Amino acid sequence: MVKPLRVLRGYLFTILGIAIGVAGLVALGAMSERIVRFIEGGDRFVLGQISVAGRGMGMGTGFTAGGLLPASAIRAIAEVPGVSGVQAQVMLPLDPSASQFMTLTQELILGVDLSVPMPNRHYRTLPVRAGRALREGDQRVAVVGASFAASRGLGVGGHITLEDESFEVVGVLDRMLTAPDRFVLVPIADARAQWVAKDRLLRTVLASGGVALTASDLNTGAAVGWQDGNDPDAVALRIRDRVPGVNVQLPSELSRLLRSSTAFFSALLAGIGVLAFVIGGLSLANTMAAAVFERIRDFGVKRALGATDLQLGREVLAESLAVTLVGGLAGVGFALVLGWAIDGSVARAQQLFHFSPRLLGGALAFSILLGAAAAAYATGRVVSVSPAEAIRRGT
Amino acid sequence: MLRAAGLVKSYRAPSGMPIRVLAGVDLAVKGGELVVVTGPSGSGKSTLLNVLGLLEDGDGGELWFEDTRVSALGRAARSQARGRYVGFLFQSFLLLPSLTALENVLLAARYVGRSGAATRRRARELLEEVGVVDRMDHFPAQLSGGEQQRVAFCRAVLNDPPLLLADEPTGNLDDENGAVILGALRGRARAGAAVVVVSHRPEAAAGASALYRLRGGVLESS
Repeated sequence: MVKPLRVLRGYLFTILGIAIGVAGLVALGAMSERIVRFIEGGDRFVLGQISVAGRGMGMGTGFTAGGLLPASAIRAIAEVPGVSGVQAQVMLPLDPSASQFMTLTQELILGVDLSVPMPNRHYRTLPVRAGRALREGDQRVAVVGASFAASRGLGVGGHITLEDESFEVVGVLDRMLTAPDRFVLVPIADARAQWVAKDRLLRTVLASGGVALTASDLNTGAAVGWQDGNDPDAVALRIRDRVPGVNVQLPSELSRLLRSSTAFFSALLAGIGVLAFVIGGLSLANTMAAAVFERIRDFGVKRALGATDLQLGREVLAESLAVTLVGGLAGVGFALVLGWAIDGSVARAQQLFHFSPRLLGGALAFSILLGAAAAAYATGRVVSVSPAEAIRRGT
Repeated sequence: MLRAAGLVKSYRAPSGMPIRVLAGVDLAVKGGELVVVTGPSGSGKSTLLNVLGLLEDGDGGELWFEDTRVSALGRAARSQARGRYVGFLFQSFLLLPSLTALENVLLAARYVGRSGAATRRRARELLEEVGVVDRMDHFPAQLSGGEQQRVAFCRAVLNDPPLLLADEPTGNLDDENGAVILGALRGRARAGAAVVVVSHRPEAAAGASALYRLRGGVLESS
């Protein structure tokens, strides 16, 4: 036990060099994974439902965009063949003064009609980490996303104030690494009241009595489900044809839109990933090969003592595997600590890193394989010279 | 034990011109003999020892260890022949810095398939014989030059090789330590090993079976 530790101590700077290369690779990879999870989550959401909004412009935000979607339109949509359910929704920015572009940090209020089951095929329910989900009949209660809760130190039993109204937090969602992490979910009646409180124009219109609106007409959109065996895009087109005055998003179109809007980030991350791969890989391979070249004299001595190329190769391979494994583990550990520290302090509960098992395993396997390959290459070079030459060069 | 016939070796100068270092060396050393080769610096003494010990290839000639023509062997077989037949003692000791004195000695056994308690016991005995057993857990950097060379000697003889090649073994030692090492080499010859020592020190020739001078790439009897 003591001897292997001593051997590794002899490689201390090599291990440090490898650890730094792997840490960079893992950290950049974790940021990339984080964005990928966000985009995939959004994609999964939009492909799980048909999103409908009223025609025009309004406060609706998030996956639906457009004007008011009255109750009559919702009833009409429910009558369209192939539709399995329609859930009225109110989606509002928590802070209307902030930009409403979809960003990683956008916080939204989402009011859902709890009398209708969630029609989204991929999100029948949202996973609750603590407390409970919203129930029909709830009032002035909220279920908050993981990042939202973390950024405000909220837990079950806590309270948040929205437009001067206090809401009790009855549940906190699991971290999903996508939009719901920053949601405040409330009953739809409460969301409608929030909309009226936030939107001066809407208040003025309602007060004027010029339009016949009831509370059930105040919807920013609806999530529409389709019956089994139906093509969602075909159902969406049917809604577009048969229900006037609505904006209907085809799931496949919305998915394409989402992907094209995030294409720049995806390309950027792919570039960063490739760079991390090349720079980290080159650094690791160079460090490992240099460590072997440095020991050229030792190899000369061992060959003078009778070591064959095969024996030396096995020895170097075993050592390089141990060194890259330790260096790789140290690098992964360093990246994890760095990620947690940044997420916990600088990013203030906005998770910037996602250390998936595939990333950690892949980085470790990559470093071990590359380290072994570099060591094998260097060993091949070292044993290609005579033992006498190896001793001369190393002395 | 050792027979060399017509060994030739050239190096290429930076200008590309070949420099002939060995120009047809003939040498035969029997078990129990101690042969000393002298010559000025740059005469090719170390090259001769390297070629005799299979540490580098000659350009021509034949080399035999006992009945085996080792100059015709492939890489792996030459490595095995080195481990089986030859023990080396270098001027600069060439101990591995990351290993203790005892581990350095035991390194000689690793590549010839020897291990276990008996080998370890033999290594301790050898260290005791040369007076450094109390330093066996020390690293080379913690040993004096004389102590390092004694450890290197133990490494060279651990496998009882029939051929011992020593390249200026006392070059970095004071007189007292030099005498210990030369005495130990003579002892190996008395025990039956063929010993070839390259040295420019006159006292190395004391007790030698034969004394040669390397001049112009060939060995001349002195």
